[in-house]
Amino acid sequence: MIIGDLSRQEFQELLAGKGLGIQFGPFNLRIRSNLKSFAALAYQLYEPYPLLTAAVISDFHVDMNSPPGLRRWLRPQACFAIDGHSPFAPYTVEHAFPALEWGINWCVATRAHHLLMLHSAVVERNGQAMLFPAWPGHGKSTLCTALVHSGWRLLSDEFGLVRPEDGMLLPLPRLISLKNDSIDVIRHFRPEAIIGPSFQETRKGTVAHVRPPVDSIKRAQEPARPRCFVFPRWIAGAPFTLEAMPKSQAFLMVATNAFNYEVLDEIAFRLVIDMVNSCDCYSLRYSNLDEAMAALDELSRSFDA
Amino acid sequence: MMLVSAGRRLLWQEWDDHFLVFQASSAETHVFNETTALILRCLEEGPRSVAEVKAWTEVALDAAPGELGADEFDFATRRLEELGLIEYLDETVATQ
Repeated sequence: MIIGDLSRQEFQELLAGKGLGIQFGPFNLRIRSNLKSFAALAYQLYEPYPLLTAAVISDFHVDMNSPPGLRRWLRPQACFAIDGHSPFAPYTVEHAFPALEWGINWCVATRAHHLLMLHSAVVERNGQAMLFPAWPGHGKSTLCTALVHSGWRLLSDEFGLVRPEDGMLLPLPRLISLKNDSIDVIRHFRPEAIIGPSFQETRKGTVAHVRPPVDSIKRAQEPARPRCFVFPRWIAGAPFTLEAMPKSQAFLMVATNAFNYEVLDEIAFRLVIDMVNSCDCYSLRYSNLDEAMAALDELSRSFDA
Repeated sequence: MMLVSAGRRLLWQEWDDHFLVFQASSAETHVFNETTALILRCLEEGPRSVAEVKAWTEVALDAAPGELGADEFDFATRRLEELGLIEYLDETVATQ
Protein backbone atom coordinates (compact mmCIF):
# COMPACT_ATOMS: atom_id res chain seq x y z
CA MET A 1 0.00 0.00 0.00
CA ILE A 2 1.05 3.58 -0.55
CA ILE A 3 -0.02 6.74 1.24
CA GLY A 4 -2.21 7.64 -1.74
CA ASP A 5 -4.37 4.56 -1.08
CA LEU A 6 -5.67 6.33 2.00
CA SER A 7 -8.44 8.89 1.76
CA ARG A 8 -7.53 12.36 2.94
CA GLN A 9 -9.73 11.76 5.99
CA GLU A 10 -8.00 8.48 6.85
CA PHE A 11 -4.61 10.12 6.40
CA GLN A 12 -5.52 12.93 8.75
CA GLU A 13 -6.95 10.54 11.35
CA LEU A 14 -3.77 8.48 11.37
CA LEU A 15 -1.61 11.59 11.74
CA ALA A 16 -3.72 12.87 14.61
CA GLY A 17 -4.12 9.46 16.22
CA LYS A 18 -1.80 6.47 16.45
CA GLY A 19 0.56 7.84 13.82
CA LEU A 20 1.19 7.57 10.09
CA GLY A 21 3.68 4.85 9.21
CA ILE A 22 5.76 5.78 6.17
CA GLN A 23 8.83 4.21 4.62
CA PHE A 24 11.70 6.35 3.36
CA GLY A 25 14.27 4.02 1.82
CA PRO A 26 15.90 2.02 4.64
CA PHE A 27 14.02 3.88 7.39
CA ASN A 28 10.56 3.38 8.83
CA LEU A 29 8.97 6.42 10.39
CA ARG A 30 5.85 7.02 12.41
CA ILE A 31 4.65 10.60 12.21
CA ARG A 32 2.02 12.22 14.39
CA SER A 33 0.61 15.71 14.12
CA ASN A 34 -2.38 17.62 15.38
CA LEU A 35 -1.89 20.41 12.81
CA LYS A 36 -4.58 20.33 10.13
CA SER A 37 -2.85 22.89 7.90
CA PHE A 38 0.16 20.65 7.73
CA ALA A 39 -1.76 17.50 6.81
CA ALA A 40 -2.99 18.72 3.42
CA LEU A 41 0.50 19.33 2.06
CA ALA A 42 1.91 16.14 3.58
CA TYR A 43 -0.87 14.17 1.89
CA GLN A 44 -0.02 15.67 -1.49
CA LEU A 45 3.76 15.31 -1.31
CA TYR A 46 3.97 11.95 0.47
CA GLU A 47 1.31 10.33 -1.76
CA PRO A 48 3.55 7.78 -3.61
CA TYR A 49 5.53 6.62 -0.54
CA PRO A 50 4.98 3.17 0.99
CA LEU A 51 2.49 3.10 3.85
CA LEU A 52 3.46 0.98 6.85
CA THR A 53 1.01 -0.94 8.96
CA ALA A 54 0.82 -0.41 12.71
CA ALA A 55 2.65 -3.72 13.27
CA VAL A 56 5.87 -2.57 11.56
CA ILE A 57 8.62 -1.48 13.92
CA SER A 58 9.60 2.14 13.37
CA ASP A 59 13.12 3.52 13.44
CA PHE A 60 11.90 6.97 14.39
CA HIS A 61 8.73 8.21 16.11
CA VAL A 62 8.38 11.88 15.32
CA ASP A 63 5.75 14.45 16.26
CA MET A 64 4.94 17.85 14.85
CA ASN A 65 2.43 19.37 17.21
CA SER A 66 1.17 22.65 18.48
CA PRO A 67 2.61 23.13 22.00
CA PRO A 68 0.02 23.23 24.82
CA GLY A 69 -0.97 26.42 26.60
CA LEU A 70 -2.26 29.85 25.73
CA ARG A 71 0.36 30.40 23.06
CA ARG A 72 -1.38 27.89 20.79
CA TRP A 73 -4.21 30.44 20.44
CA LEU A 74 -2.28 33.73 20.60
CA ARG A 75 0.69 32.97 18.37
CA PRO A 76 0.47 29.39 17.08
CA GLN A 77 3.67 27.41 16.95
CA ALA A 78 4.76 23.98 15.81
CA CYS A 79 7.14 21.85 17.77
CA PHE A 80 9.17 18.95 16.35
CA ALA A 81 9.84 16.04 18.69
CA ILE A 82 11.45 12.65 18.46
CA ASP A 83 10.65 10.04 21.07
CA GLY A 84 8.99 12.81 23.08
CA HIS A 85 12.11 14.99 23.10
CA SER A 86 12.20 18.37 21.30
CA PRO A 87 15.72 19.09 20.04
CA PHE A 88 14.81 22.43 18.42
CA ALA A 89 13.09 25.63 19.47
CA PRO A 90 9.46 25.79 18.27
CA TYR A 91 8.76 27.03 14.76
CA THR A 92 6.03 29.35 13.63
CA VAL A 93 3.12 27.12 12.68
CA GLU A 94 3.31 28.18 9.02
CA HIS A 95 6.74 26.50 8.83
CA ALA A 96 5.63 23.18 10.29
CA PHE A 97 6.16 21.22 7.08
CA PRO A 98 9.76 22.31 6.35
CA ALA A 99 10.48 21.86 10.05
CA LEU A 100 9.28 18.26 9.87
CA GLU A 101 11.46 17.61 6.82
CA TRP A 102 14.53 19.09 8.54
CA GLY A 103 13.69 17.15 11.68
CA ILE A 104 13.57 13.85 9.82
CA ASN A 105 16.94 14.62 8.21
CA TRP A 106 18.30 15.40 11.66
CA CYS A 107 17.07 12.03 12.94
CA VAL A 108 18.88 10.22 10.14
CA ALA A 109 22.08 12.28 10.46
CA THR A 110 22.37 11.82 14.21
CA ARG A 111 21.24 8.22 14.59
CA ALA A 112 21.89 6.06 11.52
CA HIS A 113 25.47 5.21 12.41
CA HIS A 114 25.21 1.69 11.04
CA LEU A 115 25.79 3.42 7.66
CA LEU A 116 28.45 5.86 6.49
CA MET A 117 26.54 9.06 5.75
CA LEU A 118 28.08 11.39 3.19
CA HIS A 119 26.65 14.87 2.77
CA SER A 120 25.92 14.38 -0.89
CA ALA A 121 23.23 14.16 -3.50
CA VAL A 122 23.24 10.84 -5.35
CA VAL A 123 21.69 9.99 -8.71
CA GLU A 124 21.92 6.84 -10.79
CA ARG A 125 21.66 5.73 -14.39
CA ASN A 126 22.34 2.29 -15.86
CA GLY A 127 23.28 0.96 -12.44
CA GLN A 128 26.07 3.50 -11.92
CA ALA A 129 25.76 6.15 -9.26
CA MET A 130 27.06 9.68 -9.46
CA LEU A 131 27.63 11.50 -6.18
CA PHE A 132 27.57 15.27 -5.68
CA PRO A 133 29.17 16.08 -2.33
CA ALA A 134 28.88 19.79 -1.66
CA TRP A 135 28.53 22.47 0.95
CA PRO A 136 25.16 24.27 1.20
CA GLY A 137 24.68 26.84 -1.55
CA HIS A 138 26.92 25.10 -4.07
CA GLY A 139 24.05 24.06 -6.36
CA LYS A 140 23.85 20.39 -5.39
CA SER A 141 20.06 20.23 -5.00
CA THR A 142 19.35 22.25 -8.13
CA LEU A 143 21.53 20.00 -10.24
CA CYS A 144 20.15 16.86 -8.62
CA THR A 145 16.53 17.96 -9.16
CA ALA A 146 17.17 18.76 -12.81
CA LEU A 147 18.85 15.39 -13.39
CA VAL A 148 16.12 13.30 -11.75
CA HIS A 149 13.56 15.07 -13.92
CA SER A 150 15.64 14.18 -16.99
CA GLY A 151 15.94 10.41 -16.82
CA TRP A 152 18.21 9.86 -13.85
CA ARG A 153 17.04 8.04 -10.71
CA LEU A 154 17.18 9.83 -7.38
CA LEU A 155 18.88 8.02 -4.55
CA SER A 156 19.04 11.07 -2.32
CA ASP A 157 19.32 14.81 -2.40
CA GLU A 158 21.05 14.99 0.97
CA PHE A 159 22.54 11.67 2.08
CA GLY A 160 25.01 9.38 0.38
CA LEU A 161 24.21 6.32 2.49
CA VAL A 162 27.05 3.82 2.16
CA ARG A 163 26.48 0.26 3.37
CA PRO A 164 29.68 -0.84 5.15
CA GLU A 165 29.27 -4.50 4.19
CA ASP A 166 29.70 -3.95 0.46
CA GLY A 167 30.12 -0.21 -0.20
CA MET A 168 26.79 -0.01 -2.04
CA LEU A 169 24.74 3.19 -1.91
CA LEU A 170 21.28 2.88 -0.37
CA PRO A 171 18.49 5.06 -1.75
CA LEU A 172 16.72 7.55 0.49
CA PRO A 173 14.52 9.31 -2.08
CA ARG A 174 12.95 11.87 0.21
CA LEU A 175 11.53 15.20 -0.87
CA ILE A 176 14.13 17.54 -2.33
CA SER A 177 14.40 20.81 -0.48
CA LEU A 178 15.08 23.73 -2.80
CA LYS A 179 16.09 27.11 -1.48
CA ASN A 180 15.74 30.68 -2.68
CA ASP A 181 16.55 31.25 -6.38
CA SER A 182 16.79 27.55 -7.20
CA ILE A 183 13.01 27.21 -6.70
CA ASP A 184 12.22 29.35 -9.72
CA VAL A 185 15.06 27.81 -11.70
CA ILE A 186 13.42 24.39 -11.36
CA ARG A 187 9.87 25.72 -11.86
CA HIS A 188 11.02 27.06 -15.23
CA PHE A 189 13.22 24.08 -16.07
CA ARG A 190 10.47 21.49 -15.47
CA PRO A 191 7.04 23.13 -15.11
CA GLU A 192 5.51 19.66 -14.68
CA ALA A 193 7.60 18.90 -11.58
CA ILE A 194 5.53 18.50 -8.43
CA ILE A 195 6.68 21.27 -6.13
CA GLY A 196 5.00 22.33 -2.93
CA PRO A 197 4.43 25.94 -1.89
CA SER A 198 7.30 28.30 -1.18
CA PHE A 199 7.77 28.90 2.54
CA GLN A 200 9.08 32.43 3.01
CA GLU A 201 11.49 33.58 5.69
CA THR A 202 12.23 30.20 7.23
CA ARG A 203 15.44 29.64 9.18
CA LYS A 204 17.03 28.68 5.84
CA GLY A 205 15.47 31.38 3.68
CA THR A 206 12.70 30.59 1.19
CA VAL A 207 12.18 26.85 0.89
CA ALA A 208 10.05 24.61 -1.35
CA HIS A 209 9.88 20.83 -1.60
CA VAL A 210 10.05 18.79 -4.78
CA ARG A 211 8.47 15.36 -4.88
CA PRO A 212 10.88 12.91 -6.56
CA PRO A 213 9.65 11.06 -9.66
CA VAL A 214 7.55 8.04 -8.73
CA ASP A 215 10.03 5.60 -10.30
CA SER A 216 12.72 6.73 -7.83
CA ILE A 217 10.35 6.13 -4.90
CA LYS A 218 9.31 2.72 -6.22
CA ARG A 219 12.95 1.66 -6.54
CA ALA A 220 13.89 2.80 -3.05
CA GLN A 221 15.08 -0.68 -2.06
CA GLU A 222 17.45 -0.97 -5.05
CA PRO A 223 21.04 0.00 -4.12
CA ALA A 224 23.54 1.34 -6.64
CA ARG A 225 27.28 1.09 -7.03
CA PRO A 226 29.29 4.33 -6.77
CA ARG A 227 30.95 5.21 -10.07
CA CYS A 228 31.79 8.89 -10.01
CA PHE A 229 32.21 11.86 -7.67
CA VAL A 230 31.38 15.28 -9.04
CA PHE A 231 32.00 18.21 -6.69
CA PRO A 232 29.66 20.92 -7.99
CA ARG A 233 29.85 24.63 -7.48
CA TRP A 234 27.32 27.01 -8.95
CA ILE A 235 28.78 30.49 -9.48
CA ALA A 236 26.73 33.20 -11.19
CA GLY A 237 28.19 34.00 -14.59
CA ALA A 238 31.10 31.59 -14.22
CA PRO A 239 32.33 29.77 -17.32
CA PHE A 240 31.66 26.05 -17.36
CA THR A 241 34.51 23.76 -16.28
CA LEU A 242 34.59 20.03 -15.58
CA GLU A 243 38.06 18.96 -14.51
CA ALA A 244 39.56 15.79 -13.09
CA MET A 245 40.28 16.11 -9.40
CA PRO A 246 43.25 14.47 -7.64
CA LYS A 247 42.09 11.53 -5.54
CA SER A 248 43.76 12.83 -2.38
CA GLN A 249 41.75 16.04 -2.68
CA ALA A 250 38.56 14.11 -3.40
CA PHE A 251 39.15 11.96 -0.33
CA LEU A 252 39.49 15.00 1.92
CA MET A 253 36.39 16.64 0.51
CA VAL A 254 34.31 13.49 0.91
CA ALA A 255 35.59 12.72 4.41
CA THR A 256 35.21 16.25 5.72
CA ASN A 257 31.72 16.45 4.22
CA ALA A 258 30.52 13.24 5.87
CA PHE A 259 28.07 13.34 8.77
CA ASN A 260 29.69 10.53 10.75
CA TYR A 261 33.23 9.96 9.46
CA GLU A 262 34.66 10.37 12.98
CA VAL A 263 32.02 8.09 14.49
CA LEU A 264 32.85 5.17 12.22
CA ASP A 265 36.64 5.83 12.29
CA GLU A 266 38.46 2.94 10.60
CA ILE A 267 35.36 1.67 8.79
CA ALA A 268 34.81 5.15 7.36
CA PHE A 269 38.45 5.50 6.30
CA ARG A 270 38.35 2.18 4.45
CA LEU A 271 34.98 2.93 2.83
CA VAL A 272 35.97 6.37 1.59
CA ILE A 273 39.33 5.06 0.32
CA ASP A 274 37.56 2.26 -1.57
CA MET A 275 34.99 4.64 -3.04
CA VAL A 276 37.54 7.20 -4.18
CA ASN A 277 39.74 4.45 -5.64
CA SER A 278 36.86 2.99 -7.64
CA CYS A 279 35.34 6.30 -8.76
CA ASP A 280 36.37 8.97 -11.24
CA CYS A 281 36.53 12.33 -9.49
CA TYR A 282 35.71 15.71 -11.01
CA SER A 283 35.33 19.30 -10.02
CA LEU A 284 32.39 21.04 -11.74
CA ARG A 285 31.84 24.79 -11.94
CA TYR A 286 28.75 26.01 -13.68
CA SER A 287 26.31 28.83 -14.04
CA ASN A 288 24.15 27.37 -16.83
CA LEU A 289 22.12 24.35 -15.79
CA ASP A 290 21.61 23.00 -19.34
CA GLU A 291 25.34 23.11 -19.99
CA ALA A 292 26.09 21.21 -16.79
CA MET A 293 23.43 18.59 -17.50
CA ALA A 294 24.70 17.97 -21.02
CA ALA A 295 28.24 17.45 -19.72
CA LEU A 296 27.06 15.03 -17.04
CA ASP A 297 25.03 13.09 -19.61
CA GLU A 298 28.13 12.78 -21.76
CA LEU A 299 30.20 11.73 -18.76
CA SER A 300 27.65 9.07 -17.94
CA ARG A 301 27.73 7.74 -21.50
CA SER A 302 31.51 7.45 -21.27
CA PHE A 303 31.05 5.04 -18.33
CA ASP A 304 28.92 2.78 -20.53
CA ALA A 305 31.57 2.80 -23.23
CA MET B 1 68.64 10.28 20.71
CA MET B 2 66.44 7.60 19.14
CA LEU B 3 63.17 7.83 17.25
CA VAL B 4 60.47 5.18 17.65
CA SER B 5 57.07 4.68 16.12
CA ALA B 6 54.24 5.37 18.56
CA GLY B 7 51.27 5.13 16.23
CA ARG B 8 50.76 1.40 16.71
CA ARG B 9 48.47 0.29 13.90
CA LEU B 10 48.43 2.56 10.86
CA LEU B 11 46.50 2.25 7.60
CA TRP B 12 48.07 3.76 4.52
CA GLN B 13 46.85 5.09 1.20
CA GLU B 14 49.18 6.70 -1.32
CA TRP B 15 47.90 8.89 -4.14
CA ASP B 16 50.51 10.67 -6.24
CA ASP B 17 52.63 12.71 -3.81
CA HIS B 18 50.12 12.57 -0.99
CA PHE B 19 50.02 9.97 1.76
CA LEU B 20 46.93 9.41 3.84
CA VAL B 21 47.45 7.68 7.15
CA PHE B 22 44.73 6.47 9.46
CA GLN B 23 45.93 6.27 13.05
CA ALA B 24 43.82 3.63 14.77
CA SER B 25 44.87 4.67 18.31
CA SER B 26 43.39 8.16 17.87
CA ALA B 27 40.94 7.50 15.01
CA GLU B 28 42.53 10.43 13.17
CA THR B 29 43.29 10.67 9.48
CA HIS B 30 46.46 12.51 8.49
CA VAL B 31 47.73 13.75 5.16
CA PHE B 32 51.50 13.86 4.71
CA ASN B 33 53.98 14.81 2.05
CA GLU B 34 56.50 12.26 0.87
CA THR B 35 59.28 13.22 3.31
CA THR B 36 57.07 12.98 6.38
CA ALA B 37 55.51 9.74 5.18
CA LEU B 38 58.91 8.17 4.57
CA ILE B 39 60.13 9.05 8.07
CA LEU B 40 57.07 7.34 9.48
CA ARG B 41 57.54 4.32 7.20
CA CYS B 42 61.15 4.04 8.33
CA LEU B 43 60.18 3.98 11.99
CA GLU B 44 57.47 1.39 11.42
CA GLU B 45 60.35 -1.01 10.82
CA GLY B 46 61.79 -0.35 14.29
CA PRO B 47 63.63 2.24 16.43
CA ARG B 48 66.42 4.14 14.71
CA SER B 49 68.75 6.94 15.66
CA VAL B 50 67.89 10.37 14.32
CA ALA B 51 70.87 10.21 11.97
CA GLU B 52 69.81 6.78 10.69
CA VAL B 53 66.29 7.95 9.98
CA LYS B 54 67.56 10.97 8.08
CA ALA B 55 69.96 8.86 6.04
CA TRP B 56 67.27 6.24 5.31
CA THR B 57 64.85 8.96 4.22
CA GLU B 58 67.41 10.55 1.90
CA VAL B 59 68.01 7.19 0.22
CA ALA B 60 64.27 6.62 -0.14
CA LEU B 61 63.87 10.10 -1.63
CA ASP B 62 66.70 9.36 -4.05
CA ALA B 63 68.53 12.38 -2.61
CA ALA B 64 72.24 12.75 -1.99
CA PRO B 65 73.52 12.42 1.61
CA GLY B 66 72.88 15.70 3.39
CA GLU B 67 70.54 16.93 0.67
CA LEU B 68 67.49 16.71 2.92
CA GLY B 69 67.61 19.95 4.87
CA ALA B 70 67.92 19.70 8.64
CA ASP B 71 65.07 22.19 9.04
CA GLU B 72 62.73 20.20 6.85
CA PHE B 73 63.63 16.95 8.58
CA ASP B 74 63.25 18.47 12.04
CA PHE B 75 59.90 20.06 11.13
CA ALA B 76 58.58 16.71 9.88
CA THR B 77 59.70 14.73 12.92
CA ARG B 78 58.35 17.35 15.36
CA ARG B 79 55.01 17.29 13.53
CA LEU B 80 54.87 13.50 13.76
CA GLU B 81 55.69 13.71 17.45
CA GLU B 82 52.91 16.26 18.05
CA LEU B 83 50.45 13.90 16.40
CA GLY B 84 51.53 11.07 18.67
CA LEU B 85 52.88 9.04 15.79
CA ILE B 86 56.53 8.95 16.88
CA GLU B 87 58.49 9.54 20.06
CA TYR B 88 61.97 10.77 20.89
CA LEU B 89 63.67 8.46 23.40
CA ASP B 90 67.07 8.20 25.03
CA GLU B 91 69.10 5.47 23.38
CA THR B 92 69.22 3.40 26.57
CA VAL B 93 65.43 3.45 26.91
CA ALA B 94 64.83 2.71 23.23
CA THR B 95 67.01 -0.37 23.23
CA GLN B 96 65.49 -1.89 26.39
